[in-house]
Amino acid sequence: MAVSRYTKMAYDCADDMVFGFSKNPVSYGFGLKIGAGYVIPEINYAPRPGTEKDPERLRKEYVDYITKDILNRALTVGFPNVQLETEWVSQMNQAKLSAPVVAGQQEMCEKYHEEYGLNCGTRQTIPDQREADHGLRPGMDSAHAYPEKLFECADIACENGCNNLSIESVGGKEFADYAVTNGDIVAFLFGVGYLGSIDMTWLWEQLVDIAKKNHCVAGGDTNCSGANVSMFMAGGMMDQDVQRTFSAVTRAISAARTLCAWEAGAVGPDKDCGYEGPIVKAIAGKPTAQEGKNCQCAHCDLQGNLIAQCCDLWSNESVEYHPEFGGTSVQCWFGSIGYEASLMNTAIQLKQEKTLRDMYMYSDRYRGPEAYILAYDHAYEIGKAIAQYGDNLYLRAKAAGTKAVEILLKGYESKELGLTTKQLETLQDINKKLSALPDDEDKFVEWAAKEYKDIVPNFNMKNYGL
Amino acid sequence: MLSKEGADFTKVLKRYDIETQVSLTPEQMAKKLLPEDPVLRQVAEEILYMRFKTVVPVVTEALKQKDPLDVINNGLVAGMECVAKLYAEHVYFLPEIMMAAKTMEIGIAIAVKMVPGGRESKGTVVMHAAEGDPHDIGKNIAAVMVRSSGYDVIDMGRDVAITNFIAKVEEVKPLFASGTALMTTTMSAFPAEAKILMEKGIEIPLMGCGGAVNREYANSYDLGIYSEKAPQTPLIAEKIRQGYTWKQVREEWDAIVGGQ
Repeated sequence: MAVSRYTKMAYDCADDMVFGFSKNPVSYGFGLKIGAGYVIPEINYAPRPGTEKDPERLRKEYVDYITKDILNRALTVGFPNVQLETEWVSQMNQAKLSAPVVAGQQEMCEKYHEEYGLNCGTRQTIPDQREADHGLRPGMDSAHAYPEKLFECADIACENGCNNLSIESVGGKEFADYAVTNGDIVAFLFGVGYLGSIDMTWLWEQLVDIAKKNHCVAGGDTNCSGANVSMFMAGGMMDQDVQRTFSAVTRAISAARTLCAWEAGAVGPDKDCGYEGPIVKAIAGKPTAQEGKNCQCAHCDLQGNLIAQCCDLWSNESVEYHPEFGGTSVQCWFGSIGYEASLMNTAIQLKQEKTLRDMYMYSDRYRGPEAYILAYDHAYEIGKAIAQYGDNLYLRAKAAGTKAVEILLKGYESKELGLTTKQLETLQDINKKLSALPDDEDKFVEWAAKEYKDIVPNFNMKNYGL
Repeated sequence: MLSKEGADFTKVLKRYDIETQVSLTPEQMAKKLLPEDPVLRQVAEEILYMRFKTVVPVVTEALKQKDPLDVINNGLVAGMECVAKLYAEHVYFLPEIMMAAKTMEIGIAIAVKMVPGGRESKGTVVMHAAEGDPHDIGKNIAAVMVRSSGYDVIDMGRDVAITNFIAKVEEVKPLFASGTALMTTTMSAFPAEAKILMEKGIEIPLMGCGGAVNREYANSYDLGIYSEKAPQTPLIAEKIRQGYTWKQVREEWDAIVGGQ
C-alpha cells in the first residue's frame, strides 16, 4: 500500500464538522456504519486480574461474561448500535489466549445481530509491547521478539474475526517520556512528530496489508503513549506536574503523527484515547472515536464535553469488569455512553446537532489550554497548518506546534483564555524554541540526532530505520 | 458557531489553577530555606536554580574551604530539599525537579570523590516496572526522587520478569523494593513477588504503585505498601530507614505521606 500524505483539508470549513457525520463513513461488523449520520457507543473493558492466567478463564471472561452482558444491556435499554473494544492484555500476544476471545466475540455478535437485529462488532486493539532499548524493528529484539509478536497479533486478530484492527503504537515513546518529564518541546517534536511518524507509517503499511488480506477494516492509532502522558501529568486543577500549555502543544504535534496510520491506508475509526481526533478528522474526513466525560471510570480530563463535538464513536475508555449496583461495570458504563450517544442522535434527528455541538464545545472551551486548541474551530486551524506542509513529516509537526502556540497566545491576549503565570512563561519559552528551529528537515534531524544522542535514554536511530 | 454574547462562563467553570497559583517567585520562596553559610548557600543555589553548567566550578571552589560531606549534605542536598519544598507548594513543577536532580548528581559526583571511603548511602532500593508492563515513566520519576534523597537506586527497568526481580532482591538485600504497573493484568506480579519473598524469608516492604494500583490492592498482600505519587516515596523510605516494618507503614500511611 503506497503512503498518501494529506496536503488538503477534507472539510471546507470548521463548521462543517459535527458529531455522527464523517466525509468517509466506514462499514463493518454486523450492520455497523460509522460516521454515517449517527453516533455509536463504543464500550471498552478490562478483565479481572488473574483471569489472564488461563486461556479458558480469559475466554469466558471476555465472551461469556463481558460481551454477553453488553449485548444484553443493549437489548434491555434499546440501543440499536454498539461497538465493543477489546484492548488486549499483554499476555494475549499468544494465540492460545487471544484467538478464542476474538472468535468468541465475533460469534456472539453475529448471534445477536441475527436474532435481534442489533448492529454490533468488535475493535481489537492489539498490544504494542516494543521497547526502544531492545529494538523497535524485527530482528532487533532478541530478548522478547516484541516487534515480530506485534505483527503476529495482527494476524491472530484478523484471522479470527476482528472487525476493526487498531493499536496504540509506541514509536517515539522514549522521547515523549523524556520530553514530558523535562519540559523539552523540541525533544517531543523530534521524537513524536518526526521519529514517531516514521514508525507509525512503517507499522501501518504492514498492518493495513494484514487487515486487507483478511477482509478486516484497519482502524487507526493514537499518541496515547505520548500526548496522553503529557495530558495526564498536566492533570486536573489540583495536580499539575507538567504545564498545561506544554501539554496542549504536545497534543497538536501528536496529531501530525496520528494522521500517519490513515495515510498508510487505515480507514478509521481511530482510537478513542486520541484526543487529537478533531484535528485529524478535519484533515482526513475519516471517522473518529472519542472519550471524555463518560470515561471517568478510567480517568479525568478537562474536555469531557467538548471532545464530543465531532465524534463518530463515543467511548468510556476502559473499565475493569466487576459488579456494580446497576449491573456489571460494563453494563453501567455502556448505559452512560449509550445515553450520551442517544442525546447526540436525537439532536441530529431534530436538526439541532450544531447547537448541541456548540454547547458541548463552549462548556469546556475555557477550561484549559488543551480544550482551547481542541475546540473544533481551533482544531481545524491546526489541521490546516499540518496539511500545508503535509508532505514533510518534520515541517508539519512543527507547524502544528507553532499554530497551537499562536492560538493559545492569541486567546490569552484577547482575555478569552486564562493562563497562570507559569503556563504563560512555559508557552513563551516553547514559542522561542520552536521559532529557533530550522526550516530544513535534514539540518534539523542532523542537529537533533546529535543533541539527544546522550540525553534521551534508549535513543537509537536504527529503531526508525535511519 | 453559537453566539456567546452575554454568556457568563464564570457560572460554568472556575479556573482553580489560576485562582490558587502561588504568586511568590522561587527566589522569594527560597530565601528562608537556603543555608545561611555563604559558601554552602552558593552551592545550594546552583541546585535550586538548576545551573548544571556552573555547578562544577562552584562545588570545586566550595570543596577548597569545606569538608566534602558538608558540601554534599548541607549544600547540594539542602538545595534539593528546597526544590522539593517549592515543588510541594506548586512553585516548581516536574521539569524543575528533574533538572535540579541532574545538577545535584553532577555536584555529588565531584564531591564524593573526596570523601574517604565514599559517601554513605541511606540504603539501597530496588525499583522496577512489573512483568509485561512497558510503562515506566512513574517509576523513573520516583527513582529520581529517591536517588535525590540519598539512597542508592537499582533501577531494573520495565517489563521485569518476576524471577529476575527476586534474584536481584536476594542479591542486594535492599532496604525496600518498589514496582509500578499501569495495567490491572500486570499488577498481579506484585503479590506473586511478595509470596516468593515471604517463602524465602525476605521480609522487606514491597511497594506497589502505578496507574492501575490503589492502596487497597497494595495492602492486600503480605509485604505490600503503597505510594500514590512519586514525591511520597522518599517520605515512606525515611520511615523504613528508621526501622518501620511494612505493617507499620500501612498503619501510619496517612501520617507518613502527610509529612508527619
